Amino acid sequence: MTREGFIELVEQEQEALRGFLLYLCCGNKEEADDIAQDALVKAYLSSAGYQEKGRFRSWLFKIAHNTFLNHKASCRTTESIDEARTLISNTAADASFEHQDLYLALRTLPPKERSAITLFYLNGYNIKEIAAITEASEDAVKKQLSRGRDQLKEKLKL
Amino acid sequence: MNKDKALEELFLAQKPQFDDSEAFMESLNKRLDAVEYIKQHQEATIRRYKMALVAAFVVGIISGGITIVYMLSTPVRVPLFTFQVETGWLSWLANNSRLLTTTALSLLVTFGLISIVGNIQDIRRMRGEVGFRIN
Repeated sequence: MTREGFIELVEQEQEALRGFLLYLCCGNKEEADDIAQDALVKAYLSSAGYQEKGRFRSWLFKIAHNTFLNHKASCRTTESIDEARTLISNTAADASFEHQDLYLALRTLPPKERSAITLFYLNGYNIKEIAAITEASEDAVKKQLSRGRDQLKEKLKL
Repeated sequence: MNKDKALEELFLAQKPQFDDSEAFMESLNKRLDAVEYIKQHQEATIRRYKMALVAAFVVGIISGGITIVYMLSTPVRVPLFTFQVETGWLSWLANNSRLLTTTALSLLVTFGLISIVGNIQDIRRMRGEVGFRIN
């Protein structure tokens, strides 16, 4: 794939990719864009081996998901929502976003559950596609979705 | 698995919009320029390594061949080299010239082989870095 071809495809997909990562980073736009840039550089370097014709978005999401997990593994994770609430007020969270509650609730989920929930509800992928992107079994994705949904509904009081 | 309606509506209602796409793409292009530069530099280094590898191989073959031919062409009892001055130390060197030359040649070949293997490993490692894995 040529650089021009790659850029053309990325221009079409960058908003979806950034949106996915913005949710994974719980509203931290700076962090999400940084991971998106890293993921796109990795994708560019691997683009010679890209063979999944017509599934560019899924391929990008897979790379972005792995980049996000690697990034998270190198950072301290916070579990409690109270701690998250303190943190989010200090970080460069998306100021224009009115509903921080969803981000705060997402922050309480483990990264893999957060990915599965975001891919399912925001990006509209089905379980099989999520399993391919996150390199997990379909059963594992179902469990992640079920646990994540219950936890989100409890936190958001839905 | 069915979608939870309330959650789905919440996610879709809060779908993020970006008004800085151009700046994002510009920043990405800058990063890709830097990556291209590093990639070209690494590829040039790999080419230099390969040239050095070929040169070492050719020099090794030629010098090794010449030495072996020379050793085989001289009579066994006659030393490979002699000295004008006859002292104990130099006499010992001259008497054992064949053994010493063989040992030196073996060391040279071993060193050459280790260098070649080292270079091949370096080239593979650099290719791995240029090729980048997804995860």
